Amino acid sequence: MVEQNKERNKMIVAKNLCKNYGRIQAVNNVNFCISKGEIVSLLGPNGAGKTTLMRLLTGYAEPTSGEVSIFGQNLKTQRLSCLKKIGYVPETGFLYPDMSVADFLRYTADLRGISGAEFVENFRNVVENLELKSVINQKIETLSKGFKRRTGIAAALIHNPEVLILDEPTEGLDPNQKFSLRSYLKSYGQDKIIIISTHIMEEVEAMAGRVILLNHGKLVKDTSPQELKELFPEHDIETAFYKITSEVE
Amino acid sequence: MTKQWQTIFKKETLAFFEGMQAWVILSAYIVLSMFITFFIGGFFSLNNAGLFSYFYFQPYILAFIIPAVTMRLWSEERKTGTLEFLLTQPIPLLSIVLGKFLSSWFMCLCMFLLSTPLWLGLNLDFEADNLNILSGYIGIILVAGSFCALGCLISSFCSSPAVSYLLSLGILLFFCMADFTSAFQKLHFSPIVENKLSSMLNLEYHYQDIITGQIGTDNIVFFVLIIILSLGLNTLSIEYKRN
Repeated sequence: MVEQNKERNKMIVAKNLCKNYGRIQAVNNVNFCISKGEIVSLLGPNGAGKTTLMRLLTGYAEPTSGEVSIFGQNLKTQRLSCLKKIGYVPETGFLYPDMSVADFLRYTADLRGISGAEFVENFRNVVENLELKSVINQKIETLSKGFKRRTGIAAALIHNPEVLILDEPTEGLDPNQKFSLRSYLKSYGQDKIIIISTHIMEEVEAMAGRVILLNHGKLVKDTSPQELKELFPEHDIETAFYKITSEVE
Repeated sequence: MTKQWQTIFKKETLAFFEGMQAWVILSAYIVLSMFITFFIGGFFSLNNAGLFSYFYFQPYILAFIIPAVTMRLWSEERKTGTLEFLLTQPIPLLSIVLGKFLSSWFMCLCMFLLSTPLWLGLNLDFEADNLNILSGYIGIILVAGSFCALGCLISSFCSSPAVSYLLSLGILLFFCMADFTSAFQKLHFSPIVENKLSSMLNLEYHYQDIITGQIGTDNIVFFVLIIILSLGLNTLSIEYKRN
């Protein structure tokens, strides 16, 4: 019975996941499970395969081999049903510059079939939580980087997803904005799954309960930030990251 | 699926009309069409009861105008990176393809609407052959549909709207002028088969049938097949890029 519940709690399962671009192995035999309530940080140097892995988890890219299941549903065979549960913010270029923030949120909600009272409530929540009220009717092309980033996150949250996948979410935000976004995501992640790709170690320590460390497309460590730090007790998490990734090289 | 293609359709149509693009295209179309109808098509010198001088040159005019409508539909999504946003939404790819195609076709309907005063004027001053004119409008709507579908397909291959325009223009002009008779002659078919095959694949042959009021099922099937084939290939091309 306990085992059964454990299985059910594994909301995201990646099995033998591989993705090749020609001869380049961007993701090489990656396996992990993520349960409800976990905030997972994907760490790795540039070119480690973080973005590719995120694209595999969001169905934007198809794996060369292996499979992803979300809430027990296979992402390949039940793609649309899986995508309904995911909110995704890629690293760059996911906003329509000619649209206003409100229009973009409305458009995203329409695409996801969110309307009526549900839309009004979710719209109010994301605008309030991500502090977008002052720019709600402004065109996206006129926004600062920080507001653009928050607009993207608001769109990813408009359907209140079970799984939130964010690529470098705090890039371009000032320290105050970073702090409030982290606090919000931490509370949102209490009963959801959040996967964050980042280079910022302070972010890993502040938010994530688990770290998946990638290098050259391979999963080299799946641990907690605390354990990562304890691997090299005399140093900080940044040094641990450096040592592990250079050891594998 | 119904609601989702409507969302894409609405977004694309609004994008046309909110910027200058739609107004520039509509103006360019009507100026070009009227100039050709009156000065090259010989509007006053021909027996124009069926608005023949307007319809005759339409495929060539549309070959210049429609690439400007379709060029940004996919290429801009690729260029700005919004394709990743779109393809990670829970929508069937066909809904996106259909929404974009229908919005460009709708833009063409707006263009044709601008020419209807010519039809009304003809009815006031002359004896117009209204059935023939109706058939002519069906003809340009079908040509526009097939050109829009081809334009969308070409746009899906390009990451620059300018490249998409030039490539579409070239392909649509080739499509307007292509005559496969000599190609079939080299295959040594009998003259009847040769003739039949080359006319079957000739846009002008089908279009001329329609604007002269001899509209047949084969003419409609020809254009509908081009639309279906192009939209199918468009879906495959985006799917291929995703993988």
